[in-house]
Amino acid sequence: MLARPGLPTFDYIVPATPNQVVQLLQEHGNAVRLMMGGTDLFVRMRQGAIRPKILVDVKHLPGMRDIQHDERAGLTVGAAVTMNEVASHAPVRAHYPLLAEAAHSVASYQVRNRATMGGNLCNASPCADTAPAVLVLEGDLVLYGASGERAVPAEEFFVGPGSTVIQPDEFLTGIRFPLPPNGSQGKYMKLGRSKAGDLALVGVAVLGFPDKTAASGYGFRIALGSVAPVPLRVAAAEKVLALRPPDENAFALAAEKAMQAAAPIDDVRASAAYQKAMVRTFTLRGLQKVWGQLCNT
Amino acid sequence: MTPPVLEPVGKSVQRVDMYDKLTGTAQFADDLQFGPGLYYGRLVRSPCAHALVKHIDSTKALRLRGVKAVVTGQELPAQIGLYLKDRPVFARDRVRYVGDPVAGVIAVSEEIAEDAAQLVEVQYEELPAVFDPLEAAQPDAPLLHPDLGKYEVASFIFPQPGSNISEHFKLRKGDTESAWSRCAAIVEGTFRLPQIQHVPLETHIAVAKWESSGQVTLWTSTQSPFAERDLIAQSLGIPHGNLRVVAPYVGGGFGGKAGVSMEVYAVVMARAVKGHPVKLRMTREEEFVGTTTRQSLVARTKIGCDAEANLLAMETQYYFGGGAYNDYGVNIARAAGYSCTGPYDIPNVKGDSYCVYTNLPIGSAMRGFGMPEIHWGIEQIMDQLAEKVGMDPAEFRRRNCVRTGDTILTGMEMPQIDLVACIDKVTEAAKWHNREKPAAPHKKRGKGIAIMWKAPAMPPNPGSSAVLRFNEDATVQVEIGAQELGQGAFTVAAQIAAHALGVPYEWVRVSAPIDTKFSPYEWQTVASRITWSMGNAIKVAADDAKRQILNMVADHWGEDAANLDIKNGRVISYRSERELPLKNMVVYGLPNEDFEGWKGGPVVGQGKFMPTYVTNLDPETGQGTRAVVHYTVGAQAVELEVDTDTGQVEILTVASAYDVGKAINPDLVMSQIEGGAVHGASSTFEALRFDDQGQPLNSDLADYRIMTAVDAPREIHGDFVETPLEDGPWGARGVGEHVMVPTAPAIANAIHDALGIRFNDLPLSAEKIFLALRGKEQKEE
Amino acid sequence: MTIHSITVTVNGKKEYLTVPSNMTLLVMLRDQLGLTGTKNGCTAGECGACTVLIDDEPVNSCMMLALEADGHEVTTVEGLGCDDGQLSPLQQAFAVHNAVQCGFCTPGMLISAYALLQRNPHPTEDEIREALVGNLCRCTGYLRIVNAVQDAAEKGKA
Repeated sequence: MLARPGLPTFDYIVPATPNQVVQLLQEHGNAVRLMMGGTDLFVRMRQGAIRPKILVDVKHLPGMRDIQHDERAGLTVGAAVTMNEVASHAPVRAHYPLLAEAAHSVASYQVRNRATMGGNLCNASPCADTAPAVLVLEGDLVLYGASGERAVPAEEFFVGPGSTVIQPDEFLTGIRFPLPPNGSQGKYMKLGRSKAGDLALVGVAVLGFPDKTAASGYGFRIALGSVAPVPLRVAAAEKVLALRPPDENAFALAAEKAMQAAAPIDDVRASAAYQKAMVRTFTLRGLQKVWGQLCNT
Repeated sequence: MTPPVLEPVGKSVQRVDMYDKLTGTAQFADDLQFGPGLYYGRLVRSPCAHALVKHIDSTKALRLRGVKAVVTGQELPAQIGLYLKDRPVFARDRVRYVGDPVAGVIAVSEEIAEDAAQLVEVQYEELPAVFDPLEAAQPDAPLLHPDLGKYEVASFIFPQPGSNISEHFKLRKGDTESAWSRCAAIVEGTFRLPQIQHVPLETHIAVAKWESSGQVTLWTSTQSPFAERDLIAQSLGIPHGNLRVVAPYVGGGFGGKAGVSMEVYAVVMARAVKGHPVKLRMTREEEFVGTTTRQSLVARTKIGCDAEANLLAMETQYYFGGGAYNDYGVNIARAAGYSCTGPYDIPNVKGDSYCVYTNLPIGSAMRGFGMPEIHWGIEQIMDQLAEKVGMDPAEFRRRNCVRTGDTILTGMEMPQIDLVACIDKVTEAAKWHNREKPAAPHKKRGKGIAIMWKAPAMPPNPGSSAVLRFNEDATVQVEIGAQELGQGAFTVAAQIAAHALGVPYEWVRVSAPIDTKFSPYEWQTVASRITWSMGNAIKVAADDAKRQILNMVADHWGEDAANLDIKNGRVISYRSERELPLKNMVVYGLPNEDFEGWKGGPVVGQGKFMPTYVTNLDPETGQGTRAVVHYTVGAQAVELEVDTDTGQVEILTVASAYDVGKAINPDLVMSQIEGGAVHGASSTFEALRFDDQGQPLNSDLADYRIMTAVDAPREIHGDFVETPLEDGPWGARGVGEHVMVPTAPAIANAIHDALGIRFNDLPLSAEKIFLALRGKEQKEE
Repeated sequence: MTIHSITVTVNGKKEYLTVPSNMTLLVMLRDQLGLTGTKNGCTAGECGACTVLIDDEPVNSCMMLALEADGHEVTTVEGLGCDDGQLSPLQQAFAVHNAVQCGFCTPGMLISAYALLQRNPHPTEDEIREALVGNLCRCTGYLRIVNAVQDAAEKGKA
């Protein structure tokens, strides 16, 4: 049925420590939802999809809103860092431009001032814009729970639409990225129904870099969003590009492999047939763009 | 300081509402404050597309703390509607679409009202439902309104009881049968358009208060305060004088806030909690499927011309999918019927236009009122005919378009217009014969043109009235009942009043908000009729006031009033060259010599306008002396680029020209042209989607996309022609709706030009275009 | 439901308020402070009619809890003009370009445009259109709004 006019009632708690969050999760189970930007949570609460009794606002916990960059260790983005903060952060733009691009492609400017990296990933919507970027940048999701901290590789994080490996007593504190491969170039390609501001009908992240261990001399990583129950890496396409010299034929074949890996469904936003075809188009365009960037540097 | 603007008609003066709208002080209905006694309402809506209502149980809802009352149709067997009273105020025995209101809950907060609404238990017995207008028009279709024959109906609407057809308009002119054989080219097609929504930024909202004395006040966002009063008063048995409708600024109407829709629920809910105002606000989700929509259409159209490209014959059937209630929609089918040819002179015409009930949200007025719908098919067929006879599409239209003095399809003589001039202007602005290269190898470029006509669609006798009152300092209050929807009605009112009176524009104040208790009558702010009809009434009122002033001063000076005039707020004599400021005199009058008594007094000018010449049409042929008051015509050309790898369309430029008779405010005309072009372009890609049970699939802005700043065309060349209308103020006729009529077919024609593919069905989408391109490639291989 | 006492600076004025946990900033501004210039168009972060500034950055006030504004500065359309009632240069540009029709999107549009010019005083047309993608307008077709923002930028004042 139609959404409620406003938010239903709930208790609001600002936890003082990560352990308090864990305690609340253990005590109240499903009645608790963690909130950060609320841009997705509030919509679903109005729709009645979820009706938590308690909202625990975790964005003020230490580190949650920090971006830490170390030229040798890599990048850590706090779970509650907003999309605009990611998109405008100078070291992110310099060293992880693909991530900045993906964050920038989310919704509108004012939504990006509230929407967070962590929220985008934890909601595990297949169309989450930052997921393909996190996948190809091989980020780890840092979870905190009763048994302490653990890091989950992005590729293992998503289980299904709305579902992740986060345990009932855990929450996401941040995303840790290794140093990007030397000389890497990236591109996030997004198809929406409008030129900007829409949800992704298809999202393709491509990362390319010189790789002496590859027969082709180049490594490519490709991840797709919005075209399967979870965002996914396309190993078959990546393999093509590791073996074949990077030319139009190889790109076309890789794009074909990406299309084969996609398993979209027909819905109100687009048909599966169109989404599959667009995976090919956008993978091809992404590869051409990244190759162009690689050749220009 | 900028100098005062004198004789403002024809000048692009600043809007009267500009300052208030830029500072957040302009009040919309939701902005009014009602204090702590305010209650809130929520509606209980049907989850079924078609069902019998077996039982309603409000017990649980009433037990919730803070709930004040629950109202249902059982307590109030009332019908409502503009042309056909087919809508129960709350569904009683039957619901006819997903979202059909069955009950209203009143509580101390919106939140509690919503919780309680979810506790109202309704038992339904589901019935077979029908969603396609063609299917619904068949004799064996599930019947939505078994009582169709019992509903009160306007004299010019012809429902067919025992069927789902709520209106059938017939047009018969000449002899199409014999004409086909003389045609060198014939094109026929079936064209489908989905239901779409107006998407005003402000959703519907109404606050009602029912005093124990029987006085009722309704504050609401509406294009039609007086029609609201009339229809609600009739429906609920309230004396008209006891029902007051207050209508602040409207945050976008586009026809969606015409007539009466959800406002009546607020009034009925207020009756249950007398003395307390009750606020009923539509959420965005409800706005999409629970207020009104543009009707769907299935058009089957066949048009033929001879080898010299002269149009000879047309046969068409229009099936409008009117949704569950057609109280307003019947007149859209009628308007599409009497204008069924589009702006063309065709000697032989057979047209049948139907409005058909379907189990979907209510179809009603939307900008263009049937014209965007029918032009979608007509204008694509014209391009195909032009191609068949080997003529440029613009030239084909020049040859065949309607001209002043033509006897048009209803037998009426076409009033003054110049459509050829509009075509000339847009082909020039669009550099029609220049072909630019696309921006990239995977892109294709195309140009398309479409022309249009539209008459104000309304009863024969919709009236306007106006009162002008002077303040002591000779500033003027203009009292009107027309509404400001953003189109600039208040500004045009002030310009006309100032110009006709001879005072600076800055001296005029529009008495707003519109309030049926104080404002003079206006039928509705619809049909692009306000500049013309209200404008005429204000002009009459100004002339009346001016006459009073000049007679007083003529008497004072001992001169002939014929030699006097008002200029820049001063009475002047062309004979004696004397001058006297209006200040004080317009309220206190003037003293006689030596103060031996006084003359004059507060000046109040009154004016009215109502067309008196429109005739009913023959029910079997649609023929009559005067079907409509007039037509506004125009043309539009579009240039676009299609990405053949994705199907995405970028509209590069739009060139439009309309014959406005006289641009009272050229900048406001241009604003309508630009906004309408984008509205039309956006509508080309819009559709309300439902599953096979009639459940809405995209009733929010995330999945019902309207054009954003990045999608809208960046180049819009607006222009106008001024062929004066005989009975328009300074010759003016309306242009508010027309500006979106030709856009969708112009886009379709441009896409065909680019790709060689025709799309008969809306909406377009990148996906649809891409898949069609792929289909074409496969065929060619 | 929890009730929260908060201190918010709204258009330069300190306000001490008590808000329930589920009240949005939009409802607080409109119902508690009577600042009705900020509009409710969708309650879903899609239309931008409710856009306000939080510490100089635009957000959808329908998508933020009132209690989250505790300790922050909020600027609404009522706070954009000059103290003497004169229109700000950006508002003046909207007036000159006739960039207003129904006026319902205007407050949010002005806030987004103002914020853009604060962070990017000389935006390109692309940048302006992109910055306004979260502010829907059904009347104007955006052309005049974009021109007004460009004009205000060229004059170097917001």
